[in-house]
Amino acid sequence: MTSVLASVKGPEIDWAAFSPLLGLFGGALIVLMVGLSSPRVIRAHGVPALTIAAFGATIGLLIWEWNEQVSLIQDALILDRLTILITLLVCVAGIASTLLAWREQAAREIAHGEFFSLLLIAAGGMVVLAASRNLVTTFVGLELLSLPLYILCASRLRSERSLESGLKYLIVGSVGSATLLYGFAMLYGATGETDYAGILTQVVKEGLMGDALFLAAIGMTIVGLAFKASLAPFHQWTPDVYEGAPTPVTAFMSVATKAAALGVIVRLFFTALLPGVDDWRPAWIAIAVISILVGNVGALGQRSLKRMLAFSSIAQAGYLLVGVVVVTELGAEAVVLYLVVYLLANLAAFAVITVRERETGSDAIGSLRGLGARSPILAGAMTLAMLSLAGIPATAGFIGKFRLIEAAADGGYTWLGIVIVVGSMISLAYYLPVVAAMWRPDTEPGVDPATGRAVLAGGAQEAEAERGGWEATLVAAVMGAAILVFGIVPQPLFELVGDVLKGFGTG
Amino acid sequence: MSTQTAAWLVLAMPLAGTLIIALGGRILTPRMAGWIGTSAIAAAFAFAVVTLVKLQGLGEEERHVASSLWDLANAGGLRVSLGIYVDPLSVLMILVVTGVSALIHLYSVGYMSSDEGYTRFFAYLNFFVFSMLLLVLAGNLILLIVGWAFVGAASYMLISYWYRRTTATAAGIKAFVINVIGDIGLVLGTFFIVRQMGVVDFGPLFEGAHSEFAKNDPSLVAGMILILVGAFAKSAQVPLHTWLPDAMEGPTPVSSLIHAATMVTAGVYLIARLHPLFEWAPTAATVGAIVGALTLLIAGTIGLTVTDLKRVIAYSTMSQIGLMIMGVCAAAYVGGLFHLMTHAFFKALLFMAAGSVISAMAGQQSLDRMRGLRKAMPFTFGCFIAGGLALSAFPLMSGFFSKDALLFEVGQRGGGWIVFYVIGYIGSVMTVLYTWRMLYRAFWGDPCPEAVELEGGHLHHAHEHTNPANGEVEDTEVGFPGAEHHIAERTWQMKVAMSALAVLSVLAGLIYLPFGITDTFEKFLEPTFADSIVTHPANDGLEVFGVILTSVLAIGLIAVAYRIWAVGEGRATAWQQRLPLLHRLFVNKWYFDELLDLLFVRPIAWFGRFSRDSFERVVIDGALVGGTSGIVRAGSSAVRALQTGLLRGYAGLVMVGLAAVLLYFLIRAA
Repeated sequence: MTSVLASVKGPEIDWAAFSPLLGLFGGALIVLMVGLSSPRVIRAHGVPALTIAAFGATIGLLIWEWNEQVSLIQDALILDRLTILITLLVCVAGIASTLLAWREQAAREIAHGEFFSLLLIAAGGMVVLAASRNLVTTFVGLELLSLPLYILCASRLRSERSLESGLKYLIVGSVGSATLLYGFAMLYGATGETDYAGILTQVVKEGLMGDALFLAAIGMTIVGLAFKASLAPFHQWTPDVYEGAPTPVTAFMSVATKAAALGVIVRLFFTALLPGVDDWRPAWIAIAVISILVGNVGALGQRSLKRMLAFSSIAQAGYLLVGVVVVTELGAEAVVLYLVVYLLANLAAFAVITVRERETGSDAIGSLRGLGARSPILAGAMTLAMLSLAGIPATAGFIGKFRLIEAAADGGYTWLGIVIVVGSMISLAYYLPVVAAMWRPDTEPGVDPATGRAVLAGGAQEAEAERGGWEATLVAAVMGAAILVFGIVPQPLFELVGDVLKGFGTG
Repeated sequence: MSTQTAAWLVLAMPLAGTLIIALGGRILTPRMAGWIGTSAIAAAFAFAVVTLVKLQGLGEEERHVASSLWDLANAGGLRVSLGIYVDPLSVLMILVVTGVSALIHLYSVGYMSSDEGYTRFFAYLNFFVFSMLLLVLAGNLILLIVGWAFVGAASYMLISYWYRRTTATAAGIKAFVINVIGDIGLVLGTFFIVRQMGVVDFGPLFEGAHSEFAKNDPSLVAGMILILVGAFAKSAQVPLHTWLPDAMEGPTPVSSLIHAATMVTAGVYLIARLHPLFEWAPTAATVGAIVGALTLLIAGTIGLTVTDLKRVIAYSTMSQIGLMIMGVCAAAYVGGLFHLMTHAFFKALLFMAAGSVISAMAGQQSLDRMRGLRKAMPFTFGCFIAGGLALSAFPLMSGFFSKDALLFEVGQRGGGWIVFYVIGYIGSVMTVLYTWRMLYRAFWGDPCPEAVELEGGHLHHAHEHTNPANGEVEDTEVGFPGAEHHIAERTWQMKVAMSALAVLSVLAGLIYLPFGITDTFEKFLEPTFADSIVTHPANDGLEVFGVILTSVLAIGLIAVAYRIWAVGEGRATAWQQRLPLLHRLFVNKWYFDELLDLLFVRPIAWFGRFSRDSFERVVIDGALVGGTSGIVRAGSSAVRALQTGLLRGYAGLVMVGLAAVLLYFLIRAA
């Protein structure tokens, strides 16, 4: 036995560079174990605190490895600037979502340990996805992030909506995964390699640029990834799932999944598939334009905030793609920058929705009425989030859009910049009513004007459970402040996302 | 304290005021909010004076100071910083803006004191001053655009300040939309310039213009005309002027500050600021001068027939700004800016006096109702006379010297510019007539009931508060004007503010007298306009001619107006009957609203209806939204049956998309 083990030579692992992933997965194990303990206070408060500690530790490890650039496990993964930035985004989203989920019904229903460890595993999957430099790891990462999310979506066991959302996500998600896997298989068939670097070499050497198998593989890969990034026309699951899932999960999904998916799109298409750029660029452009149109038009007239944000996230993903299709360093930087500002705005918005949902039991836009008078912090954060998503000057969103348009113009796709502007203009028509609703005086019947809580909200036990929510307010306040600060002093953001392509092209 | 520090502090004061009032709204009493707002602006004025002194302490060559706090963006070879540019022009503007604003804040403390939204009013007003200062101090085009947009937003908030008045909210929206059209012009114009030049800071921009562009380069001309569109929208020039008369729906101090003294002059400032570029694109400058001249004439004729007191002054403002735009486009910078300054004084004064009159009339604004207020409100009357004399360029008043200087400088250029010189004087004729028509109708003749009541020591109050524009009945809660009215005779804050402006309206001309008697103002502005390539040859004969003509016109026409509107009952009506078509044209404001309605509003509305009825219903509701949200609405009983169908549909759509993508790639491969 020992001799067999000795003859199998494990791959070299740089444990330091691998440590952020260990932080997430280790954290998931610990959280799961602690979640088994009997005192209620440990389960309800110790577990989320530990989750935050795990995310925090991961961020710490990232900062430790900030300037590293290491290929891991025989080039299956790479720790470079892009990985670090995406991991950072995922961890920030994770911390925020944990705070939002602290008093969440869903976490109690499927047990805290499970809920938060699934969150950590999904985050780990996203990191694997963004860091992968091999088709197999890419797929593993994708499934690692998808499976926990299917469960998390359905985690409100007593809500039909939530269960439906999980099931829908699972079934339609499987179609997406299958498509992607098929694409990868064909890619392997065409090149005989699973390594990104190997594929690149093979494509160039064999002159596969016009090869039908290779191109079909790219097509299927595009569809699979577009599905995960909820790009139109592969977006239909998004509104239903976002609406049905528990709000903290939606917040996490909308931000972190998108970051990971865009990360892998940038890495895969900027390295392995780069020789086919003339073939895949028009396809991505079409998807981007369709997403911007469908997302913005679909969001018009939505009454549910979560549904509206789902459509808005489709449009935002379309904007992000513009940074990809120019295939320049500036474009990649713009994508990551936009991911940051998108994260700030979406988390602020979902934090406010979480609070309002607990207070009124509804995520309708009308439920925000009178919020400005009762809770200026929440209403202020939501206002900033909406303005930032719409790209109004003096918010971070403006800087992000500005950069994307600049990248588009710089890459010779000025017309895509104009599409972004047109899309943003349409988007004002659904972002501004939200702002208007909040600052309008409250005349809604059945809501106690002093507390904003529904007068007839459930029994005493439920009222007790739904009390509090300072964590969500904290998230909203921090994100709102960041939107404003980065809108006025954006230089730190530019410095953060600089050199994002450093490490591309090298081992 | 250095020049830069002082200038930054000028900017910081109103911002601090806004934040304190807005955030402390619940803690502060309304009274305190008013005084905080006023002192913030007064402090800004003090720092503006410090800036002036420090700037004058520098050598003539060094009187342009740029200072930046940090970079807003530094990418793609374009550096945009949060920077200001301090030179005589911007110092003049901050002095006028902060000085007049401080007085108007003071006036508002009294005038608005019974309004329920008092605190909000001062937060808005401070925010406006901050935006305006940002606009005039901006050190690059990008920051200028930001200030430009902020000013538009502040103007919108203040016009719609009485937000429960439907007419006020409609007017606010109109102003905002037209301002946004201007913003788009400004942004596109900036894009044209920046694409070629690669810099946005004013200093390098002006230095590089002559080498980057050929003279009258088409792309420069196009860019400058687009920038002019921005200037026209903000300064209410034809055909983008229709928002300004409607903007009178705002409280009178707002009309005084924003729609007379400061914001509407932003277009004039912009042209003066970018004068090196305009001079290098003479075609664009000529376009600007023509539009200014047209506005001068059109607004003047409308002012002759309007019967709403505030709207008469509004059309007068449009007309005077047309004159200034014409002036600065014709390179009459010193005269144009001098007129900008004196106009800010006397027009703010006229609006303040009008506010006092409207209070005495219990909110009524129609000249048809006013008569013989002279004895009842002697102080207001005095101020009105001072402002009216200055506006009609009565000899030795400030407006006399400034209008004279402006037209003289236009005339000095000779050649085709003489046309504009003549138009300027035709405009003057109308200015005198509408000013004194207003004065004679409101203050001469037998006192109206309200004036009699006031003479008896009691201020008239309406039994029922109504909207003067459409007669709708109102209450006096927040969102409508307050219950009490305040007239200058009884409110010391209003009295102080109006006295100060009355003195300025009379005396401000002394800093720039003709024939080189005093040239303080010209010397002061010289460093800014030293790079002007337009020369103004001396022409003593023309200068003498101008002074005499202006005097004769003012004195003579005031007498004519007296015959028509003060003593000759029915004479005005006789004129109206003699020229019915012309009168109808003027009363209907040259049908500009109808024209814009026909050209833009109706086609867009039609398109909107069309989209809603066909595109939206069929494509969006049916195919996109209906496919998802319609199903959610179906009850839980149907969920199960629908769910499978739905999922199949989803998967099906994924497959269709996949097939499309695959097909595309296979075609590429073939």
